[in-house]
Amino acid sequence: MSVSGWVTMIVVLVGVWGGFGYLLARTVKRDRE
Amino acid sequence: MTQQTEQFTSRWGILLATIGMAVGTGNIWRFPRVAAANGGGSFIIAWLVFMVAWSVPLVMAEFALGKHTRRGPAGAVGHLIGRRFNWMGAFVGVCTCFIMFYYSVVTGWCLKYLVASVGSDLAGADTEAYWQAFTGPGIQPIVFHLIAMVIGCWIISRGVTRGIERTNRILVPVLFLLLAAAAVRALLLPGAIRGLGFLFTPDWGQLLSHKVWLEALSQSAWSVGAAWGLVMTYGVYLRKQDDFVLTSWTTGFADYSASLLAGIAVMCTVFAVLPEVDARAALGAGNEGLTFIWLPRLFERIPAGHLFLALFFVALSFAAMSSLIAMIELATRMAEDLGIPRRRAVPLVGVVGFLLGVPSAWKLGVFQNQDWVWGLGLMVSGLLVATAVMRFGPRRFREELINTPEERAPVGRWFDVVITYVVPFEFAALMTWWFYQSAANYDRENWWNPFHTYSVGTTLVQWGLLILLLLLLNRAWAARVGAREDRP
Repeated sequence: MSVSGWVTMIVVLVGVWGGFGYLLARTVKRDRE
Repeated sequence: MTQQTEQFTSRWGILLATIGMAVGTGNIWRFPRVAAANGGGSFIIAWLVFMVAWSVPLVMAEFALGKHTRRGPAGAVGHLIGRRFNWMGAFVGVCTCFIMFYYSVVTGWCLKYLVASVGSDLAGADTEAYWQAFTGPGIQPIVFHLIAMVIGCWIISRGVTRGIERTNRILVPVLFLLLAAAAVRALLLPGAIRGLGFLFTPDWGQLLSHKVWLEALSQSAWSVGAAWGLVMTYGVYLRKQDDFVLTSWTTGFADYSASLLAGIAVMCTVFAVLPEVDARAALGAGNEGLTFIWLPRLFERIPAGHLFLALFFVALSFAAMSSLIAMIELATRMAEDLGIPRRRAVPLVGVVGFLLGVPSAWKLGVFQNQDWVWGLGLMVSGLLVATAVMRFGPRRFREELINTPEERAPVGRWFDVVITYVVPFEFAALMTWWFYQSAANYDRENWWNPFHTYSVGTTLVQWGLLILLLLLLNRAWAARVGAREDRP
């Protein structure tokens, strides 16, 4: 896989999965409030 | 109008139900092959844009409509902007009901293959002959369609809390775990890196291609479930203190996360097992061809493939069922809004849903026609939801219905811009594109013929008949659901 492929994959996965994880954590926090 | 009484019990329950609605078979069987066919990483970049430019704003609009009016698609639009426009919401709801009729058939296919993979029916079988024997005119797809409908209606009959909320608390986490397991297994196969390369390596030139952007928009619109009326239905069951902007964003990210997991699982498996020419053939075999013909062959060639094939079909069945129950709830909500008590509405939806799904179960051509017509109908639904917001006033809608005192993540003016300008433009581009595809590629000679599966004619005739019927019934329907008087 090319460098651009690796960079795109890392940026997309970190962005989407990281974003999902962050939003999930906020939902859990709000649910506990 | 029947007043709803049940509500979701927690923000977590709302979120899981909405994610269950959004994550369906399209994430697993459509995203990987469409991404691979449209420039991989370039497609993904375009696809990310449309989470903001179509899906999430429409999900927010739907939540607001449902929560504010306490009506599903049958009455929400009429209640918001006047009875003259009630048919617009009804179109959104009925379009999704038409999808439910054949989506239950799809769920039945998934259940059949789950049973077959657990029972080793697929081991060593000619998977193409197996698929054709199963879907050829016969009783089996109808039986599995019936099973899917019965399970879905049984869940819905248990109500919002004990049915929808409790079921999704199991289905959604298990679905994500299975997709993650499938992705990890695929990544460990020798040669899996070639699949990652196909999925993620951007072809920058493709970013200038209108096809890539339109395919990405279509995928986002169909996948997240925006403007299907399903979120509007779930919005009816929000408690007063529930805000929904965070839930809308989380749903978008969850849907995209599931697509990426499925993309990694499918692409790595396909490219690890097959030489490139065959891998391209598998990805070009369409949704059903890839899932029901190619994947069983591929799993057979990997260690513990029998187990992973069964788990794959468990995931696919869970994804399908969690979306199907949202559609059954929408149809039930519409019946309730029209004055039918829930205890009668659920069996009525079950019987009608089963009967109107039989033609799609019986003949693949009918299924393909309905998928084409009502899949595109969802784009019309998107425009209608945006039009309702525009008629009310996008800024007023945002300030009064979204940024309510209980909302802790208020939405900015970008929402007004997307709803007013971007969604209508996207709708026009999508319609032009898909009708051009029909006239230039799918059915060049008979694109006008309403009796051809993928024609422009069949789409316009079926939409036209539905809109005509809804306009004729509008006054009576609007009165029944308690739509408010037209504004001057």
